[in-house]
Amino acid sequence: MTALVLALVVGALFALGTFLLLRRDLIRVVWGLAIISQAANVYLLAMGGIAAGTFDSVPVLAGHGAGAPETADPLVQALVLTAIVIGFGMTAFALVLSYRVYEEHDTLDVSELGEHDG
Amino acid sequence: MAAVPIGTDAQLVVAPMLIVLATAVGTLLLGQRPQARAAVSVVGAVAYAVAVAAIDWYIVLAPDASGIATYQVGDWPAPFGITLVADGLSAFLLTMVATIGIASFVFSMRVLPELDRRSYYFPLFHFLMLGVTGAFLTGDLFNLFVWFEVMLMASYIFVAYYGGPQHTRAAFWYVALNLLASAVFLLGVGGLYATTGTLNMADLAQRLAEPAAYGIDPGPVVGLLALLLSVFAIKAGLVPFQFWIPTAYRAAPPQVTALLAGATKKVGIYAIIRLSFTVFAGAQLGVTLEAPGVGVVVSGDSPLAFVGSVLFVMAAASILVGGLGAVGRDSLEGVFAYSSIGQVGFIAIPVAIAATTVSPELRHIGIVAALVYALNHTLAKGLLFLSVGTVRTATGTSRLADLGGLARRSPPLAIAFFVAALSLVGIPPLSGFFGKFLVFDTAARAETVPVLVLLLVGSLLTIAYATRTWNRSFWGVQSSAVEDATPDSVQVAVLLGLAAAILAVGVGFEPIYRFADAAATAALDSDAYIDAVSPTDIESLDSSGGGHP
Repeated sequence: MTALVLALVVGALFALGTFLLLRRDLIRVVWGLAIISQAANVYLLAMGGIAAGTFDSVPVLAGHGAGAPETADPLVQALVLTAIVIGFGMTAFALVLSYRVYEEHDTLDVSELGEHDG
Repeated sequence: MAAVPIGTDAQLVVAPMLIVLATAVGTLLLGQRPQARAAVSVVGAVAYAVAVAAIDWYIVLAPDASGIATYQVGDWPAPFGITLVADGLSAFLLTMVATIGIASFVFSMRVLPELDRRSYYFPLFHFLMLGVTGAFLTGDLFNLFVWFEVMLMASYIFVAYYGGPQHTRAAFWYVALNLLASAVFLLGVGGLYATTGTLNMADLAQRLAEPAAYGIDPGPVVGLLALLLSVFAIKAGLVPFQFWIPTAYRAAPPQVTALLAGATKKVGIYAIIRLSFTVFAGAQLGVTLEAPGVGVVVSGDSPLAFVGSVLFVMAAASILVGGLGAVGRDSLEGVFAYSSIGQVGFIAIPVAIAATTVSPELRHIGIVAALVYALNHTLAKGLLFLSVGTVRTATGTSRLADLGGLARRSPPLAIAFFVAALSLVGIPPLSGFFGKFLVFDTAARAETVPVLVLLLVGSLLTIAYATRTWNRSFWGVQSSAVEDATPDSVQVAVLLGLAAAILAVGVGFEPIYRFADAAATAALDSDAYIDAVSPTDIESLDSSGGGHP
């Protein structure tokens, strides 16, 4: 049940992120990127095993040792924590950069920024 | 298995990272004192080069060198802690990066005399080097992701550095693309963790070699590897992920572009080689891809068959797109940015051949060829981008139409540029000759005529755009921009130094070849890699016998 819900959530987040990514407004693009990286984080968390909280559903414990009766996978939580911090920094940077783009171009409309190759 | 003792070799492994981290933080803290910051920067850059040279000698090249050294961060045994590994492959790439790094660094000191205004240039420079160094040394997949991000964050700001309309626009698309790539990277890493139960590369290699014993379902592994491959291809700028290169390279300051082409691109190449050959090569997974109407496209019993085929298509397209694109550009940066796409194709072709072949000998030669070509690309393209910087500081332009007659104005600049262009084309006795020769040799041994034809076309295109660039900017009548241009003497000295390095590599190729040979051996020897990292196996403690549902 949880697995299904999480799968749906990840799918929905990716869909929403992609939708926003394809908008013409730069701020929406940044939101799309942020949502996609959050979707990746939820996915990463789910990869630790989301069934019962016993050791054999947790890769790091099932593969390397046993004896912890009920636990969530600590490793994916550490990974997600790192990924969240990085994602947070990047979103902040992307927002500042879009403000700078706005200052330079007086617009946030992708189609008015001109060709990005040339 | 015993824990790896922390010896001198182990400390050498972290030395370059610690040095460059300390330099980056130090320069950041000294923001208000430009002179002190410059001094710290210089000391740090020199110490970094010394540390890399020490790794080269004590770990790889000395007669009694072990060839590989590891450092378990925090003394946590692999695979639980983060492992840093320096072997021939890492050392070879580190040396390349240190060389171009020093050149770019000296150049930067000269281009940015107003150190107090451009306050964050040097901290960023060192953080970029830190990310690259970390990526080369880490033995952990997630840690690789983290170092990628460190490297990318610095490069984002460099692309946006001048802050004008086209720079911010280029930076925005560069950031957006790389954020997407980071999400894909996380998907690949997470999937591999769920499938194999580990993120340590040595542990991964060990487990993938016997999937049944560890209860690994081999099905998803190839798909996850494909995700990672696409991420690394973006970093390396292989077609179809090349579109960001021309804009980003044009936007960044030239000395940084030299670093982007010489160092960060090589991180993509390194990751492809390391993961494909050291980690995934031993995996016994049947791979068959069928296309409707064509039949079996890819088949083999390891993920390498898939990597090789995909990489081959990308490399071939890169050579053509890069070569054709470079011929028509109207500015020096444009030509070299497209040329960079094509040259990465030349590096990837022998890797693709090495991945698809079954002969261990040919596989070895393929990796050597890729490494030697990568070295040449770093030196020659680095020199070319730096000379764009010199031309731009001297004349204020890099458009081919506004240049002309530079050779008479500054013969030393012309000589340096000429050497790099010849090396790119592959004229003996320059480093480019051996790169080209080995790539052709690999293709000839693989007995694939289409590849040879493709390489030939690529080389002809290289000659075409190198000649055109040379003729337009260095020969002919002096344009008004060139007439009163005086290239900076220190900048030109850096260029001549790099030109001398290109010549030295070509003339004294024997030791370089031995180094590349050791690097290829290290890349292909998964067992030595696993032994050195020695991921602790607690199977005996595991009553259920390993594996997870």
